[in-house]
Amino acid sequence: MSDLAQPPGIVVQAAERRWLRLAVIWAVLIAMPLWMPLVGGYTDLGARILVFGLAAMSLNFLMGYTGQVSFGHAAYFGLGVYGAGFILLDFSHSTLLALLAGILLGGLIGAVIGALVCRSRGIYFALITIAFQEVFYYIGYKWDSVTGGYDGLRGFQRQPIHFGLFTIDILKNDVAFYYFVLVIFGIVVGLMGLILGSPLGRTFIALRENERRARFLGIQANRYIWLSFTISAFCIATAGALNALLNNFADPSSLDVTISGELVVMAVLGGIRSFWGPLLGAAVFVVVENYLSGLTLNWLFFVGLIFVIVVMFFPRGLLGMFGQRRAV
Amino acid sequence: MMLVLFNVFNGLILGAFYVLAALGLSMILNLTNVINFAHGNFIALGGYLAFVLIPIVGFWPALLLAPLLTAVIGFIVEKTMISRIYGRDPIYSLLLTFGLAFMIEDACRYIWGVNGLPLTTPPSLSAPISSEFFFVNAYRLFIVAIVIIAVVALFAFLRFTRMGMRIRAGMFDLETVAALGINVKLLRSLNFACGIFLAGLAGVLAGGQIGLNPNMGDNLLLPSFVAIIVGGMGSLVGTLLGGLLIGVAAAVTTVFYPAASDVVIYVIMAVVLLVRPRGLLGEEGMQ
Amino acid sequence: MNMLEVRNVSKHFGNLVAVRQISLTVASGELRAIIGPNGAGKTTFFNMITGFFAPTSGQIVFDGRDVTGLTAEERVKIGMARTFQITEVFPDLSVNENVRVAVEARAGYALRPWLPADKRHAVEATVSELIARVGLVDKRDRAVGELSHGDQRTVEIAMALALRPRLLLLDEPTAGMGEQETYQIAGLIRRLHREENYTIILVEHDMRVVFHLADRISVLDQGALLAEGEPDDIAANRAVQEAYLGKAA
Repeated sequence: MSDLAQPPGIVVQAAERRWLRLAVIWAVLIAMPLWMPLVGGYTDLGARILVFGLAAMSLNFLMGYTGQVSFGHAAYFGLGVYGAGFILLDFSHSTLLALLAGILLGGLIGAVIGALVCRSRGIYFALITIAFQEVFYYIGYKWDSVTGGYDGLRGFQRQPIHFGLFTIDILKNDVAFYYFVLVIFGIVVGLMGLILGSPLGRTFIALRENERRARFLGIQANRYIWLSFTISAFCIATAGALNALLNNFADPSSLDVTISGELVVMAVLGGIRSFWGPLLGAAVFVVVENYLSGLTLNWLFFVGLIFVIVVMFFPRGLLGMFGQRRAV
Repeated sequence: MMLVLFNVFNGLILGAFYVLAALGLSMILNLTNVINFAHGNFIALGGYLAFVLIPIVGFWPALLLAPLLTAVIGFIVEKTMISRIYGRDPIYSLLLTFGLAFMIEDACRYIWGVNGLPLTTPPSLSAPISSEFFFVNAYRLFIVAIVIIAVVALFAFLRFTRMGMRIRAGMFDLETVAALGINVKLLRSLNFACGIFLAGLAGVLAGGQIGLNPNMGDNLLLPSFVAIIVGGMGSLVGTLLGGLLIGVAAAVTTVFYPAASDVVIYVIMAVVLLVRPRGLLGEEGMQ
Repeated sequence: MNMLEVRNVSKHFGNLVAVRQISLTVASGELRAIIGPNGAGKTTFFNMITGFFAPTSGQIVFDGRDVTGLTAEERVKIGMARTFQITEVFPDLSVNENVRVAVEARAGYALRPWLPADKRHAVEATVSELIARVGLVDKRDRAVGELSHGDQRTVEIAMALALRPRLLLLDEPTAGMGEQETYQIAGLIRRLHREENYTIILVEHDMRVVFHLADRISVLDQGALLAEGEPDDIAANRAVQEAYLGKAA
């Protein structure tokens, strides 16, 4: 129809900008082992940023894109950690199996819990997610025989991955591990991005924007909120499994509600209306934690202060300050 | 028999704490829809300020002054920070107070250290009342007594004073109150300060019982939310009942299944939220 | 052919009777206006038809089918679309995106994480056509939250049209609008009725709009049906005049 009276230049420009942005981000991530030591960091830190970045972005799938704030999402992160830990400790040396186990444990349980909470909204939703996380934390440190109690699962290490002809030594080689994490990160983030740009993603966003209008378009809100919850649980469980590989242990601290809070801080800091915002927020948080905690014991105070300032004056977060207005 | 009695009594003590903490939280929530995630930290702050004041003015004055001072700090926080986000989605209040919680907790850690500190209470309160009911020592009765006084004072304040009536009216319909020409900004600040006063008081009492540490409020924060939810949002009486209920529930669980006493509160919370989100006395459709 | 039959519908909120025993029938292709003084129960009545809440008693029959027990979402799926008194749109999304969500929902794509190119183009074509039909082509990339009242309402109507409804329910479509915007919206509704034969039920306060558009008018007062008929008859009806004047006095 000739009524597509949109000057084609505008559409092309927007698309070009997006590709440019993506290219820059990936260039930075791929070149990390090169520039990280130059700013006084180390490769391990980079991997940690990716892990928490993935976790924060997964949370934001539910929070920024579907509009439901979960303060208990680290439960599925922690389950991912333990899932991977169980495999590596007693079962098999296969990294991929450990990853799969963690993803499934966190994701499937997330799906079950999601079915229970998907009818709640707002503060009720936030509180009930906390309640469930507390239950998992409790199980984590009480069920000694299975989870190892307070100490958790220790005594395993991530193992080199054998591909028949060649081996990727992710145990000894930090840089190799970083790229391994980056690949997994890329896959999950790519899937998330694909979904968010699809009709399903638009349905999630519609629910965030105006649930009543979505309902009166025939969209059954609870069902989609459950789906968003479940997808984000699977993604965050992946981050958890990676975390187990990063640390070479699994302990209840990964199930602590504090982690949930920190993930929310990261997402909000970076900007919940932006896709990459939470990654930036995670980077800032992890870096600040790493450096400030060496300088002063009270770095949390400053993180809290920055966070409070962001919430009061820059509700769109760091990336929001650069004019990222819309999610789609 | 003794064991059950012991635990019910413990439950009431615990419940008294929950009531005190939850009422403050409830007041703030009902009037302004602000979810004060920093409430537990104000509780700790109250305890720590008492620690500072007791050597200077003695225990009994500190019992009043420490919460008052905490309330003043709360007033300032409300004026400078919280008032900025009133128009927005309630989720912002969650986030803001969450960040605030970090700040207060770390500030306490900085000033008073990571380790626990004792709060000296008058020796007259430490003695057990009777050798048969060994668990009833004076301090615990004292806690119950103070909480009762505070609750009665609160309800009297809300019922009989002009400011109290305005707050109650505001909890019901803030827009109309504003339209009547009442200074809503001041009302909110005072209401917040009032809620923080109760938090501070809870902190002093808790400090005397279990000692002070920067995380002490954490154990009271989520149960306070549960108390509000069980009792029903929007109802202070509901919060009162809710707090007592979960205190007793937690204590009784210790008799039958001690390992679960930590988590039973969260189980109750989950069940209530799923089955009857409006709680005992809340109204349908309250968010 | 009757598009909608409402049979003896009542709504009680505790002791308050908001709607009492109303029956009415809307024929296919008709534009029915529902009017009445404030508090007459118009929006409550509307809400029951669209499934916002269930009636206390009575039946709602849509195109021969009893829909009384269906949820709002289900009613949308079988052909009822509504707009709200306070415009319900997706404020941070563009006009294009708003309409797109509606089109995709209607096409059953809401659940799909991926669309093949041909379906995607079909969706985009439908969206463009709808936007052109309501006259918002030059604003298609602007965030709906930034548009004027009238334009927001127009977007909402476009979204309703995207659902390919058999019955359009518009709740005070010109509420809060100035002259120009009222004219714009009324014109759109007239076109939809006269040129595209939509069956439309309209709750309205603006009498000029009502008399300009309606085939028949139903008058509600204090929860009950006071009068029903063609515009001229209603205008001359004593009881109707008293209901309005009585309230004003």
